[in-house]
Amino acid sequence: MKSMFAAVAALALSAGMAQAASGTLTVYTSTPDQAMNDLIAAFNKAEPDVKVEFFRSGTTEVVNKLQAEFTAGAPQPDVLFIADATVMEQLKADDRLMPYADAPVAGLPETFYDSDKTYFGTKIIPTGIIYNTKSGKPRPTSWGDLTSPNAKDQVIMPSPLYSGAAVIHVGTITAQPEMGWNYYQLLADNGAVATKGNGGVLEAVASGQKAYGMIVDFMAFNGKAKGSPVEFVYPLDGVSMVTEPVAILKTAKNVEAAKSFVNWLLSDAGQHYMTVQGYIPGKAGIAGPEGRPAAADLKLMPASTKDIAGESNEIKKHFADLFGG
Amino acid sequence: MDAVTIKSVSKHFSGKPAVANVDLEVAAGEFVALLGPSGCGKTTLLRLLAGFEKLDTGTISIGAREIARAGRSAVPPEERGVGMVFQSHALWPHMTVGENVEYALKIRKVSPAERQRQVDRALSTVGLAERKDAAPETLSGGQRQRVALARCLAMEPSVVLMDEPLASLDVHLRESMQAEFHRLHRQLGATIVYVTHDQSEAMALADRVAVLDHGRLQQVAPPRALYAEPATAMVADFVGRGMVVSLDAAVAGRAGSVEGRLWGEPIHLRSARSGTASMRACLRPEGLALGQSGIAAKVERAVFEGAATILHCRVDRAPDVLLRVLDRAAPPAEGSAVRISVNDGWLLPAASVISAAA
Amino acid sequence: MTDGAASKASAVRVTAGVQARFSSRTGDRLLAGVAAALVIGLCLLPMLRLLMEAVLPGTDGSWPLASLASAGVWKAGINTLVSSFAATAISALLGGSLALLIGLTDIRCKGVLTLFCLSPLLIPSQITALAWIKMLDSGSPVRSALELMFGTWSGHPLYGAGGVSWVMGLEHAPLIFLSLAAAIRTLPCDLIEAARSAGAHHRRLLITIILPLLKPALLAGGALAFVSSIGNFGVPALLGIPGRFTVLTTLIYQRLSGFGPSILGETAALGLILALLAGMGLVWQRWVLARAPALRSSGPMGPVLPLGRVRPAIEIAVWLVLLFLTVMPLAALLGAALVPAIGVPLDWQTATLENFTYVLTDYQPTRRAFLNSTLLSAAAAIVTAGLGLVLAYYGELRRWYWMRVLDAIADAPYAVPGIVLAIAEILVFLRPLPLIGVSLYGTAWILLIAYIARFLTLALRPLAAALRQMDPMLEEAARLAGAAGPRRLVSIVVPTVRASIVSGALLVFLTAFNELTVSALLWSRGHETLGVMVFSLQSEGAAGAAAAVASLTVVVTLTLAALATLFARRLPKGTLPWMP
Repeated sequence: MKSMFAAVAALALSAGMAQAASGTLTVYTSTPDQAMNDLIAAFNKAEPDVKVEFFRSGTTEVVNKLQAEFTAGAPQPDVLFIADATVMEQLKADDRLMPYADAPVAGLPETFYDSDKTYFGTKIIPTGIIYNTKSGKPRPTSWGDLTSPNAKDQVIMPSPLYSGAAVIHVGTITAQPEMGWNYYQLLADNGAVATKGNGGVLEAVASGQKAYGMIVDFMAFNGKAKGSPVEFVYPLDGVSMVTEPVAILKTAKNVEAAKSFVNWLLSDAGQHYMTVQGYIPGKAGIAGPEGRPAAADLKLMPASTKDIAGESNEIKKHFADLFGG
Repeated sequence: MDAVTIKSVSKHFSGKPAVANVDLEVAAGEFVALLGPSGCGKTTLLRLLAGFEKLDTGTISIGAREIARAGRSAVPPEERGVGMVFQSHALWPHMTVGENVEYALKIRKVSPAERQRQVDRALSTVGLAERKDAAPETLSGGQRQRVALARCLAMEPSVVLMDEPLASLDVHLRESMQAEFHRLHRQLGATIVYVTHDQSEAMALADRVAVLDHGRLQQVAPPRALYAEPATAMVADFVGRGMVVSLDAAVAGRAGSVEGRLWGEPIHLRSARSGTASMRACLRPEGLALGQSGIAAKVERAVFEGAATILHCRVDRAPDVLLRVLDRAAPPAEGSAVRISVNDGWLLPAASVISAAA
Repeated sequence: MTDGAASKASAVRVTAGVQARFSSRTGDRLLAGVAAALVIGLCLLPMLRLLMEAVLPGTDGSWPLASLASAGVWKAGINTLVSSFAATAISALLGGSLALLIGLTDIRCKGVLTLFCLSPLLIPSQITALAWIKMLDSGSPVRSALELMFGTWSGHPLYGAGGVSWVMGLEHAPLIFLSLAAAIRTLPCDLIEAARSAGAHHRRLLITIILPLLKPALLAGGALAFVSSIGNFGVPALLGIPGRFTVLTTLIYQRLSGFGPSILGETAALGLILALLAGMGLVWQRWVLARAPALRSSGPMGPVLPLGRVRPAIEIAVWLVLLFLTVMPLAALLGAALVPAIGVPLDWQTATLENFTYVLTDYQPTRRAFLNSTLLSAAAAIVTAGLGLVLAYYGELRRWYWMRVLDAIADAPYAVPGIVLAIAEILVFLRPLPLIGVSLYGTAWILLIAYIARFLTLALRPLAAALRQMDPMLEEAARLAGAAGPRRLVSIVVPTVRASIVSGALLVFLTAFNELTVSALLWSRGHETLGVMVFSLQSEGAAGAAAAVASLTVVVTLTLAALATLFARRLPKGTLPWMP
């Protein structure tokens, strides 16, 4: 049944018939619930006939659910839309992703998507420093400030042992020649602690438990907008970035709808919606949210996602040696 | 050993009287049985003595010491020095036989060597010295009850209370345990208050028996007096399977004897030497006999009891009355007409409830 | 009766007896068979699947069991054991002393006190952990007071082994409380009276008689608390990670965050270690219980240990301790729900209901989640109580060997971490069921199945204990009257152990209501549950909304408890654990 449908779809495509996508699209994502609902509503304006069903949880839960489904032999989703690329690299290596050669990647930086077109970044989520404005501690300007005496026992960060996005962050920083693992050694000596995810960092810093934290920008800005006494700083030495990539699974049932979803995310309309949601879009020429640097102005620390994904076990082990785990 | 004095004691449960205005004196070294049907208040009275229930009225004293008075806080059970043997024997399952018996001695800070001596003595008194280290669950019912007794004796109580201790044992065991209790009572001179619903047990063991019904004391008397001269209809019926009948007429004869008329037949009864008498007589099967003359009746059923047969005879003149007659000869067939003569009977005294014959 | 009539009656009796025996056997076999099928399908199959994953080589050729031979696993294992033993000791001290105070003394307001003692069951554990973190934050009054006495701490005092043990100990205290409270209610009073007659005053009575008699119940509750501790994820995640204290559950989560084909096998292997640890604890508990003498209860007992003059002082102390341990976290929860954002101090001007209005009106899944969680928890409670009853009946009362084996199997799904059980359930139930051809995956059914598998042991334990204590003659009399097995179960056994059935079902309901780790992988659109909702909101940074949902959960649970109390008048005494 499944293969017949795919065959018909392929036939239709190859015949060059432009067909509006329809049917049900199943997405597994780590995007927050409300944000996902809004995104789907915006997507449906462009593709009203696609009914999107999604499962949302932390990246770890999502991927493990998927893994279990792989092992049981019946993976459910068509599209995977999660926080970081390390997972995508692993899935690509396991040959689970469908290459989408015709994806509209014009305007996106090359580092944004996989060279084999199996997954595509959708936005720029930098990790920077959040600090509590009521703590009486000075405003940080660079990563080095977190190792200063002012920041002793006052720093909290997401642990790469539990968060793929944190793996990318740690991998990026340790890849910078002036920082490397020495930076994390200094942090450890300064009493920095790790926590499970970005949500924990926001809570700790906003409630005043810790003065400084490493966190993704949009979460800090959301907190500030609600009234928490926090500010976000893009450090002068640069930021690491995750792109919240989207990918189509090889076992997708509704390939047409999946492709239309990817198309929309990478289109101007989709990228503009990222701004509406408070993220910095990846596509050139689309204005970012107010008060945020434009994509071009962001100083990104150079790093290869692929390399970091390959070294993730070493990164975790090294981190565990320093911070326990 | 001490005497026990119970004065005007009452106890209510949710408005219903369990014990109503009971007066009882137990002399030091005396064995008194509390006898009565279930619900008569005997167990409640025992628990009042032990201290597990609070008095509503009256006082209780052990020896010269008042241990409970209504309205005042009573001496708690752990300070009364009263030993108790429970119906369920209540041996602590997590201790050995020896540990059960020495518990009270440990509390009294007796030295270990002395404790062992007393435990051995108590256990040999009940014949279980060799089971000292056994677990209670390995013993039979009778053995457990003996351990419970040893435990009670080891603490050398001033009064021993027993709550139907033999109720769950078989007949043979019951008899040998009764012999045990009897022997101990003689040997140790213990003051014993013994609750039972079995009247033959009460009469076999006790110096005096106190009969209770609906919380009230009916009669306190030595077994013989209880049997031969019951004070109320309830006692007459409960003890010795007496039959209470109403006389047509009664005329006092010499002191202690009465001439009466029962269903037209003349009969001769014993009665109390003083006080008013009622018109009701207590007859017992062994006081009746089949003969040539007497009350006309028909044999309804003959119950063979080994040594004798009890004939259930329906009286012709009073069809709702069934007389039980003890007969040692070959019994007449069912349905045959007989004549019953009254050889012995007792005229019940008038309405007063309590007669505490010393 | 004449002889003719007597023989006719006995002939009728014999025939009835023979008929009863035949139908009795069928009924028994049917009932036991259904129960066994459920236990095998729901509990054993997922565990076997896990075993398969753990033992067989993965798709990349690696042997999962080999991954266990690492220093990290060893260390995490030791940490798990240490913190779990410590937590169990804390639970025993707290839950035990409260149960003794409420069950044996004449302390006042026992119903309300019991409710407070059970309150940790109402609050999700991550909320309690968060509340304690806030309570002991630098600058908070409690922390300042403690620092005056003990000197300053660097970092947070609760990060690390101590904090993990403390909060887990608090969280699991109700398990020991419930077990002891039930046992105290059925203490044989003649054993206690015998000791009092022998002269034992209160302290000696407690130590030499009462506590030894309560030992089996203490062990049963303690084993449950221990198993709950080794499988606990929420508390070590919040307090252990920053404190560099890893336990097996957080280690498993680390592995799962690593992805890759070998992960499932390694995770299964780790999960099975946990099941093994739990199993050892439970086997030991069974062994002790089997040697303990069975006690026949003899009716309700008045307060055995009157407190006398110290009563007011003790009452004040108990209320203070309970308020500190239960009301403070609840207050912290409410406080977090009433501020518009984290870090905004709570006062009359900043207090707002916008979090509540958001979750109740804008955020659509909330109402669905409440409904789902209530229905799923209620269904799980009813099924586990029924299944537990049947298992305990045939295992303990009728002493069928295989049912006792199944009883032991029921412990395993509770011992493995929730996420591991969820993975196992997915592996087993993803594909359509053999005869029906329908897949339960993605429906509410898989959640129900997972809940039943996980919480069966919570209902089964108290029932097994109660049935072990029941007088077998009650059932034997019914047998002679001609009643078949299932009928005896319903008409004789159920009324006798009513209280244990209800308390087991209640425990399952409360635990399932806030459940997180199993539901996190198994929920789907339309089948959201409360625990997952709170967790998601929190990890998204919407702590206020999360606190609002958690507060509403507590309100709903208390309301249900109040309703149950109203109905309790129709039920016999002792059915509801907080109504002595």
